[in-house]
Amino acid sequence: MSSENKTYLNCVHCGKCLPVCPSYNIGFNEFLSPRGRVRIVLTDYTDSLPLKAGKVQESMSLCLMCGRCEKVCPNDVNLVELVANEKIKLEEFTNKSFSSDKLALNILKNKREILLKTALKIANIPFVKKLSGRNSPMPEGKSFIGKRDLIFNADTSLEKSPSPSLKNGKAIRQSAVEDDKNIFKVGYFSGCVFNGIYPQISIDTVASLTKNGVEVFVPKMQGCCGLPFISSGGLKSFKELAVNNALAFKGKKLDYIVTSCASCSYSINKLYPKYFNENDENYTEILDFSKKLISIWSFFNQLKKNGFEIKKGKLDNEAEAVFHIPCHLSNMPDFKPATVYEKLIGEPGLIADKIEGLKLKPLRYNYCCGNGGMFNVGHYELSKKITKRKFEEIKEAAPQEILTSCSGCLFSLKDQSGILKHNQSIPVNHLIGIYARSLRS
Amino acid sequence: MRGGIIFIELYGMDKKLINEFEMILGKDRVLSETEELLCYSYDATSKDFMPDAVVFPLNAEEISKIVKLCLKYNNTPIVGRGSGSGFSGGSLPLKGGVVVSFTKMNRILELDEENMFVTIEPGVINADLKSYLSEKGYFYPPDPASYEFSTIGGNVAECSGGPAAVKYGVTKDYVAALEVITGEGEIIYTGSKTVKNVSGYNLTQLFTGSEGTLGLFSKIMLKILSKPEANSLILVSFNDINNGFNAAISLLKLRNRPSMLEFMDKSSIESVKSIFKSDIIKITGNFLFIIEADGSKEEVTKSINEYKNILEEFSPVFLFASEKSEDKKVIMDARKAVSPSLRKYGDLKINNDIAVPINKIPDMLPFLEETSKKYGIPIINFGHFGDGNIHVNIMLDKSNAEMVEKGGKAKYDVLKKTVELGGSLSGEHGIGLEKKEFMKLKYDDYYMNLLKNIKKVFDPQNIINPGKIF
Repeated sequence: MSSENKTYLNCVHCGKCLPVCPSYNIGFNEFLSPRGRVRIVLTDYTDSLPLKAGKVQESMSLCLMCGRCEKVCPNDVNLVELVANEKIKLEEFTNKSFSSDKLALNILKNKREILLKTALKIANIPFVKKLSGRNSPMPEGKSFIGKRDLIFNADTSLEKSPSPSLKNGKAIRQSAVEDDKNIFKVGYFSGCVFNGIYPQISIDTVASLTKNGVEVFVPKMQGCCGLPFISSGGLKSFKELAVNNALAFKGKKLDYIVTSCASCSYSINKLYPKYFNENDENYTEILDFSKKLISIWSFFNQLKKNGFEIKKGKLDNEAEAVFHIPCHLSNMPDFKPATVYEKLIGEPGLIADKIEGLKLKPLRYNYCCGNGGMFNVGHYELSKKITKRKFEEIKEAAPQEILTSCSGCLFSLKDQSGILKHNQSIPVNHLIGIYARSLRS
Repeated sequence: MRGGIIFIELYGMDKKLINEFEMILGKDRVLSETEELLCYSYDATSKDFMPDAVVFPLNAEEISKIVKLCLKYNNTPIVGRGSGSGFSGGSLPLKGGVVVSFTKMNRILELDEENMFVTIEPGVINADLKSYLSEKGYFYPPDPASYEFSTIGGNVAECSGGPAAVKYGVTKDYVAALEVITGEGEIIYTGSKTVKNVSGYNLTQLFTGSEGTLGLFSKIMLKILSKPEANSLILVSFNDINNGFNAAISLLKLRNRPSMLEFMDKSSIESVKSIFKSDIIKITGNFLFIIEADGSKEEVTKSINEYKNILEEFSPVFLFASEKSEDKKVIMDARKAVSPSLRKYGDLKINNDIAVPINKIPDMLPFLEETSKKYGIPIINFGHFGDGNIHVNIMLDKSNAEMVEKGGKAKYDVLKKTVELGGSLSGEHGIGLEKKEFMKLKYDDYYMNLLKNIKKVFDPQNIINPGKIF
């Protein structure tokens, strides 16, 4: 085990975690509950009863690692870390030589995007789809990051449409304002999904930043954040990816590193520091990278705090939407919601406020989307059950569009967006996509 | 390790019984693997007991079959369980056997708007019922601290109460009828859809608070009220404990008495002070109250003004009132901060929920302070003033055996004093395992035998939650 976590000793089994846990709520079985997992791990650590590795694995692998239990826990038990550590231990113990998860992970790790896209395209052929009984996301266009680092100048002019060359991923310009202290310079961490599968979200993120006078640097070396690996017990690969990402941004004079994916920010902010210590070679780089990375919403909040006016946009057609708050999205600790939308959805409300013609409706519970990274891959049918419950509250709100800000949530919401009405799915988008659209109008 | 895990010798259930359960319920509604059973070996107390099987019935008929099978197989013990969030061990399988989990029986069956009753299955979460009713303009008042996750079945078994008790009473005041499976596997129906009901003994209220020892509930009918339109809060504190006491008593005498009258004594004010930060309210003084008024908007405004005028007469050191939801949240956060703040005093909490007559609160609080000094251990107190229910938290260091022993003595002293003052050993958690040794402080053998004989009538083979209360 790489990280010391004794917080499970604080668990008093009060049960507060039960109603928020998507895994428990599938069948109300405590074997799949946060406090049940604490109990299993405690028994394993103290060796007080002989346990079967297969059963322990079953309970752990059915945890989505969404962290909802941690948010309500009165005793600050770090459940996600506890489960991840147990998964790492089991992975080392069982060391499966082949599984479909592993194949998917290998493709991700080696940045074999062509392989990934081909695999996904094959999975989307109707015959294969029928055979496998599952839907897979369909890649939407060319990858965002190509063979070279990208730099996008701050572009304060709203008259221009987003630079057309940007769409081709070829826009490589040297910054003309390298030493201008009044301009924020940020790095952009795309994450694998917003690079290879939904590249438009990366384009929209960068456009939203540059239009707000921010200079954006995108190093080509970056890759997957590592979350799918750690959630499958693959500590070694997780750490390799973390180091690769930290080094990709090393030494660049950046005010922040921004990501549009809630799961990437969770992985980098919360998990990176836990699995590295001073004995690791790139410990300093990892910490620097982890500290500097913030969500796109937190970054806009920082811009505002620094006295910058966030640009307003207008939609051509008014839209009623809901914003699904990803489990992994967290606000800056000092964020104080002021406006109606900020109170409704937290920091993303800051941007929702800037989009004229966007009307946000509340969701009753803001339930989990059911994705859970590798959970969706390993337990597709169960994942769908959670997503279906999510759509019950969406149905109640009856939006024209579903918005969110996480690659995993986008997968599951898009996958199931047709379940409400036959043959008519509700469009699912990233909030930054709508914002970029509103700036273009 | 939390106080050492106690595993009693497994009951050694007949494998055939598990097979029979699977025949009735299907494999997916029976758990019997060690790893699964572990997850049903605890509740919110620090005690652990392994069951031999867990079953998930969906209706009374299935429960009846389960009970009859247990009778057939060597009188196997049966323990009902909701969310397993109790503080007295009510859902722990003390003698092994079968845990009957009600979590899949979580439907709201009928809302009778004309007669104002709601009929539900026992696994419905209290908060889910509240929000369901609230949308339709109705109100189910009992609000134990665990209401966001505890089930109504568990609430009825333990007769749970909460802050709302001061105006609205506790669970037993709302249970109108029950469908119950007795220890003989028979299905009975108690009560009726009427407010008035004198037809034989009042079994509904006997089952309510029976800690799951007389039978298993399969349907619960609850009385409901119309939802109050508005509410508003006051936070007030006093330096002089007698002033605070007299102020609170004055509020209770009002026709429009508060819908919540929570207090913190000096010990809990000290405990919260360091962790609670707010720009608008100050946690100060020696005796602090959180007071709520509810009703129509006009009634609330009028009540708050009236409360403020009365409170001012008793020279409070701090008084803050607000109708704004943000402020209300800050005030409630102050109250909620007590429990987490206790952790700094020790990792083992002996959690008592004594209740004394209201006019004995000024006697009890100094006694608790003395007891804390006598044994040199922190005792933190807060609770529900309006019903004399005091949460006495004796905070200990698990690894310090001497201290743990002192904690046990302090608990004895506190419960003894409670009985002397004419109070109750448990206001809302129940006796269960946690306090059964103290029952003799309150009741003689004759009385205890009456209780045991009542259990025998419903459960002749002593298979329903054996080993609890006595």
